[in-house]
Amino acid sequence: MRLGDIYFIAKDEWRYWFRSRLSLSAIIAASLLLVASLINTTHQVQTESATREGFQQEAVKTFESQPARHPHRMIHYGHYIFRTPTPLSVIDLGVDASAGTVMFLEGHRQNSTVFPPNYSNAYAGQLADLSPAFAYQMLVPLLLIILGYASISRERELGTEIVLYSIAVTPMRLWLGKTLALGASAVITLTPLVVGLSFAVSEGEPVWTAAYMFLGYATYLLTWVFIITATSAVCQRSASAFTTLLGIWIVLCVISAPLASSIAETGKSYEGKVASDIAVQQALRGTGDGHNEADIAFNQLRAELLRQYEVKSVESLPFNIRGIISLNAEETQTKILNRFSDQRMEQAKAQTQVIYWLGLLSPTLALKNFSVNIAGTSLSEYQRFQRQAERVRFDFVQKLNTMHAEQLTYDDDIKRSIDPLSEQRTRIDSHHWKILYATSHHENFEVARISESFPHFLALIFWCFFAAIMAANVAKKGDKNVA
Amino acid sequence: MISSPISAKNLCVLRGDNQVLDNVSFTIDAGDIFALLGGNGAGKSTTLLTFLGLISPSSGQALINGVEVGADIQGARAQISYLPESANLYPHLSAYENLEYFLSLAHISRSPEEISLSLDEVKLAPEARKKPLSSYSKGMRQKVSISLAILRRSPLLLLDEPTSGLDPLAIDEFNIILKTLSNLGTTIFMVTHDVYGACEVAKRVGLLRQGKMTSMFQAREDQKISVDEVHQAFRQSQAS
Repeated sequence: MRLGDIYFIAKDEWRYWFRSRLSLSAIIAASLLLVASLINTTHQVQTESATREGFQQEAVKTFESQPARHPHRMIHYGHYIFRTPTPLSVIDLGVDASAGTVMFLEGHRQNSTVFPPNYSNAYAGQLADLSPAFAYQMLVPLLLIILGYASISRERELGTEIVLYSIAVTPMRLWLGKTLALGASAVITLTPLVVGLSFAVSEGEPVWTAAYMFLGYATYLLTWVFIITATSAVCQRSASAFTTLLGIWIVLCVISAPLASSIAETGKSYEGKVASDIAVQQALRGTGDGHNEADIAFNQLRAELLRQYEVKSVESLPFNIRGIISLNAEETQTKILNRFSDQRMEQAKAQTQVIYWLGLLSPTLALKNFSVNIAGTSLSEYQRFQRQAERVRFDFVQKLNTMHAEQLTYDDDIKRSIDPLSEQRTRIDSHHWKILYATSHHENFEVARISESFPHFLALIFWCFFAAIMAANVAKKGDKNVA
Repeated sequence: MISSPISAKNLCVLRGDNQVLDNVSFTIDAGDIFALLGGNGAGKSTTLLTFLGLISPSSGQALINGVEVGADIQGARAQISYLPESANLYPHLSAYENLEYFLSLAHISRSPEEISLSLDEVKLAPEARKKPLSSYSKGMRQKVSISLAILRRSPLLLLDEPTSGLDPLAIDEFNIILKTLSNLGTTIFMVTHDVYGACEVAKRVGLLRQGKMTSMFQAREDQKISVDEVHQAFRQSQAS
């Protein structure tokens, strides 16, 4: 194979782009957009990260600096946990904009994530997220279409294709040259991505996950390069090539995601938070009130404790039964809450799985799935945060319940509303509040992110190979379409 | 035995149900100019494209130096310079850039001086040479195409309606260039519906009608083919 031909053809294509105002304008506009998207998202993530980490530290400090109190009051005083963005959020914000970033943790309840008070009110839907992911998934393919739609059809219209063939340039080399030119421009558009990934690495992201993300985006753009050159090779007119490619872009980039969501919602039902909350309340009804040790729901527990410690009354137990009841009630309630929470998560995951499978039908959808998973801004990552938040909640609530059981006497506890001295004795010192363990949410989840994103990477590879084979088959018959 | 540079043997081309070429046979000797005349849709361009391997014959043979085109398309193309009807070149490039580009793809190395010399030969005004071809007339583009053929030094030149759209002066200039190339040994096969132009330069003229070769005219020693004779035969073939 004469590689020189491919290089000359690619070089001439670049020369054409630089002399064509439309192509040059498209290149400049896309470059500015990519740089703007990177600056915008990096600034947003940095600000969010600093703000949330600040709030998180503030929340811990506030909790730990509470004065001496009854431990159960601290359970209801609660604690905030913030979801800090992963370093790769600078590329793909994923669910960050819509999933809530802070959760209030307290006893006997599992709260939803909400947005902090400083959250922007200017949010205008998905198109408002001018992130690099959005730019690469939607806009860069459009740039490549503008650059490459006429790459081969233009030669046909000018009649130069026949001249090229007459000087022994083969259709395959012509296609490879055009593909190289468009592929090189696709690689150049990846420069802002490399800058963004380098920034993420400087913020603690492992190099190999960043490189993996780069590979995914490069594969996606290469797929588009093949689709574009194949369409240009098969269409007799540049106008029909452009119209066809625009149609493909609309289907793959614009329609596929909402269509996949609709299919997933129709195919897999999701109970929703309100319906789920009603069901949770019904399930909790029989578990008893953990604040009331006389609740009949705890009769059996009380009887067992009396038998175990061979005493006649709860006052004689070597610990505060109110604390034990609280411990027990919290554990029972948490099991129920977790059951419903897991159920909701599974339902959400089932819908996401449908979208994942539909990624096989669209490279854009495959890239979206790949990108959020590797960036750590996917639903799975959000659910990991929810589970971790729940562990933090259960851990600190149970530590406080243990203090309630072990450090407070039952006698003081029941008299604290009528006896000031008892009330004083049921307050435990503030140094006990240092019970919150480090709550950095995305700890060592790289392996999970890689494994969750891998099927989508395979889908991208499949699309790339499929498009390449299709394009090569179309291209090699190019000289039969001339006459 | 030395093979003819270009020959067609019972060439038939079928496109769909349409018999575009029907048993067309001819040979062109080395250094000769052969003109294939015919009306619109007679099959002239199809004949040319068959020799470029862009159309496959349904039967018969298109031979370049005795080798069937289909057996070695790239080998055949390497010996041919082809000038399409509208002198297809890149409008965003200058004459120099077009020539450099096509030569590089043909793996032919020519110095800037050689390129300038070839443009001198075709009489392309020096001030036009660095301007993009989008500002050229068809005659000027044709000159650049001829210049490419000269630079490639191809033994065979295939021309598709080379004088259509050219003014009389440009046609005269073009014919002189063709004769010069022929004298230098280039074998030229042109398809045209310009009877006068064909008789002016060609040593042999074939008449094609609805895919069939109806007449063949041969120039006599030091004489041109009679325009009247060909014209009459052409008119008769169109009328019948």
